[in-house]
Amino acid sequence: MKSYLAVLRGSFMIGLIYRYGFLFNIAGNIIYMLVTYYLWKSIYQGREVLRGLTFDQTYIYVALGSAVFILLKTYVDWLLSFDIREGMIASYLIKPIDLQFYILFNSFGYSLMSLAAITLPTLILMIFVLHIEIPLGIGLALFPLSLLLAYLVSFCFDYFVGLLCFYTESIWGLSITKEIIVTVLSGALIPLQFFPDTIQKILFWLPFQAIYYTPLTMVAQPNLSMDTFLPMLGLQLFWVIVLFVFTRLFYNQAIKVLRISGG
Amino acid sequence: MHSFIDYIRLYFIIETQYIKARMQYRADFIISSVGMFFSSLATLGVFWIIFDSIPDLAGWSFMQLVFIYGFYMIAISPMQILFDHIWQLRFHVQQGTFLKYYFRPLNMMFYYMSEMFDLKGLTQLAAGIGILIYASLQLHIEWSLVRIAFLLLTLFSASLVQIAITLLAACAAFWVIDSYPVLGLAWKLREFAPYPMNIFDGAFRFTFTFIIPLGFVAFYPSQLFLQPENVSPIIYFSPIVGIGLFALAYKVWTLGVNSYTGTGS
Amino acid sequence: MSLIHVQELKKHFNVLNRREGIGGAFRDLFSGDYRTVEAVAGISFDIEAGEVVGYIGPNGAGKSTTIKMMTGILKPSGGVLQVNGSVPYDNRIRQAQIMGVVFGQRTQLWWDLPVIESFKILKEIYKVDQKTFDKHMNMFNELVGLNALYSQQVRTLSLGQRMLCDIAASFLHNPQVVFLDEPTIGLDISVKAKIRSLIKTLNEERKTTIILTTHDLGDVEALCHRIIIIDKGKTLYDGDIKRVTALFGAYRTLKLQIDPFDESTLEALREKLTTHFGAENSFTIAQTEEFWTDVTFDQAHTPLSDVLGVVMSNFKVSDVRIVEIAMEDVVQRVYDGALR
Repeated sequence: MKSYLAVLRGSFMIGLIYRYGFLFNIAGNIIYMLVTYYLWKSIYQGREVLRGLTFDQTYIYVALGSAVFILLKTYVDWLLSFDIREGMIASYLIKPIDLQFYILFNSFGYSLMSLAAITLPTLILMIFVLHIEIPLGIGLALFPLSLLLAYLVSFCFDYFVGLLCFYTESIWGLSITKEIIVTVLSGALIPLQFFPDTIQKILFWLPFQAIYYTPLTMVAQPNLSMDTFLPMLGLQLFWVIVLFVFTRLFYNQAIKVLRISGG
Repeated sequence: MHSFIDYIRLYFIIETQYIKARMQYRADFIISSVGMFFSSLATLGVFWIIFDSIPDLAGWSFMQLVFIYGFYMIAISPMQILFDHIWQLRFHVQQGTFLKYYFRPLNMMFYYMSEMFDLKGLTQLAAGIGILIYASLQLHIEWSLVRIAFLLLTLFSASLVQIAITLLAACAAFWVIDSYPVLGLAWKLREFAPYPMNIFDGAFRFTFTFIIPLGFVAFYPSQLFLQPENVSPIIYFSPIVGIGLFALAYKVWTLGVNSYTGTGS
Repeated sequence: MSLIHVQELKKHFNVLNRREGIGGAFRDLFSGDYRTVEAVAGISFDIEAGEVVGYIGPNGAGKSTTIKMMTGILKPSGGVLQVNGSVPYDNRIRQAQIMGVVFGQRTQLWWDLPVIESFKILKEIYKVDQKTFDKHMNMFNELVGLNALYSQQVRTLSLGQRMLCDIAASFLHNPQVVFLDEPTIGLDISVKAKIRSLIKTLNEERKTTIILTTHDLGDVEALCHRIIIIDKGKTLYDGDIKRVTALFGAYRTLKLQIDPFDESTLEALREKLTTHFGAENSFTIAQTEEFWTDVTFDQAHTPLSDVLGVVMSNFKVSDVRIVEIAMEDVVQRVYDGALR
């Protein structure tokens, strides 16, 4: 475990070095927040409630969505595919570590840095400049746990896409497609309540909403009851386990391919 | 030296060869095109979902926003297709390989950009054209020859705005080591171009009109066709904004090129 | 009027004195704290058409900077620089028409395209007419068998093949001057020979002026009529190649691992060699790397085999390496006045 923590600390440090990246990420995030503020203000023109959500609730969802989006961006698909391409996977295989956990902790450090650097200004902007009220509720307490689970699900997706690079050269196309599918179907851009009913029903069966919809709802509507939240958390946990197992199996398969074809 | 026609001919020759070579990677082309197709329609998808709940947005109907969106997709295509090599600029600059572009009797921006031709961008262009035509049919817009000429002119200047913004951001590579964030930010901003500008007020509208003129990439030019009776004078500035901004970007590029010293002594 | 006219050429750079840490990085953005580095401190020479000039010096000497000024990339800080009567920096595109440039490591051909397509594109870029194009392509084929590579993509070529193509390409448009930067670096002997022969023939047939920067003294020996040695931004030597080859051509360094080795070994070695060969033959004996003793001498006076024989019969040698004299040593000797 100690070695994994060392890895985490290492990537946290690297995050510090790329400080301009963070600055611009923050700037970009702030702009996004303001633009979507205006957008949703226009949407809610003259209406109190849409699809069961007030303007404040929707806005909290969308605004934090962008911060969470940056947080959950693991880049693992790119890193992994790059390592595969450069043949560096061999060096990982030699070390007495588990590849999946190594990559997980590596990206986690970077994300912790993002958490500190990006979420804070986002919240400050929202509360003090735009005067959005975040009501206190049980959802807020559950949010960190939900976010962690969401991260793990997102990680599995990226890891899977990265592994696909064993089979194909085309990492950009796959990565972009994955990003779009995840972004749209997980409710990253709009709360899932806005989707047409039939589509909503389908989406609730898929793992995507575990990434954005669940944690964001906890912050946007923290006053919902535990009866609502517990099953959502449970579903997240379910997907984390299922996807971890799946990617591990897929990894074992892919490694066989790599070993045979000679990385 | 080379005349304008020479350059066109040269570009054609180079890109024909380039495309031939790229066609080896068929799988990559297909997957990338699909990915590009969906990612470029993401914002439109958001609008579509929103309009399930509301009849209009800031006075605009869904179909009008679709028109603007189609305009937007066409306008950003030249940037995507012709200037794709811009993303590698910081690598070439840092590793010294950028020096090779000085040695030919060619304009350097031409030479540099000619090394990549993004085929998948054609998917975006085709989708944009399709969407624009569809929307204009649904809106019963009447097209005369004059109007079509205006359309092409505004598309052209809109594409110059997009190219200029991205180019300016990329030129940071000449002076800053970790320049990717600048380019990344400029790229993200383009997502806001299909938004109707009148959802903004005051400072924001000013910024997107005069400072980073995203408004001229799609929204303002579209007014000529969506609300021809209500055209604000700003719209007629579109070509000036496009050409002026591109001239500025080119000037900055030249400054960067002139100040570059390469690696080694 | 010489083809290349350089007079009191100077170039200095302003380098930011960087500070540490995050706070420092931020303050750097607004800093006016620069120091001036003089890369080129006043160089003068004239090069006529048809010459093959070796432009050598240690790393950091200012070679690349001078070349970059001659090719129009950098603007001189002072002095006069004219190539073919024009100032390179002010006329980059026009000058490029009469120049060819080859980097050692990076190709200037189109990476994904077949070799012949690169040449065809260059034909268009330089506006070479069909007759000249055909004539040159035939010549390249005769000299190095270029036809065999026509359909191969540049990225599939070996380093040697790529260099041959790059060099040929640089002569395609019949330039007046070609700058070759490390053309044989990383290549094996047989390929080096091929490349040297190609360059030599092209210079003789086309009367193209060639400026060669290299660390390989073999290149210099094989190709150059004239050599300019530059160090710390100034000319150290500018003249006939023969004087310089006489200086270093026959020098060899014997790297020895002597076992057992102690403080007295170097002295003992010197004594033995002086006794055997006489005091008039100088040996430079030093320990430059751990465990290795370097013995540098002039083969013309003291043959390698003899020296090795003396050493091995008097000392226990566990390993031997033989190297040519390094560029830095040549420059050092010139600096020390060996050519005065």
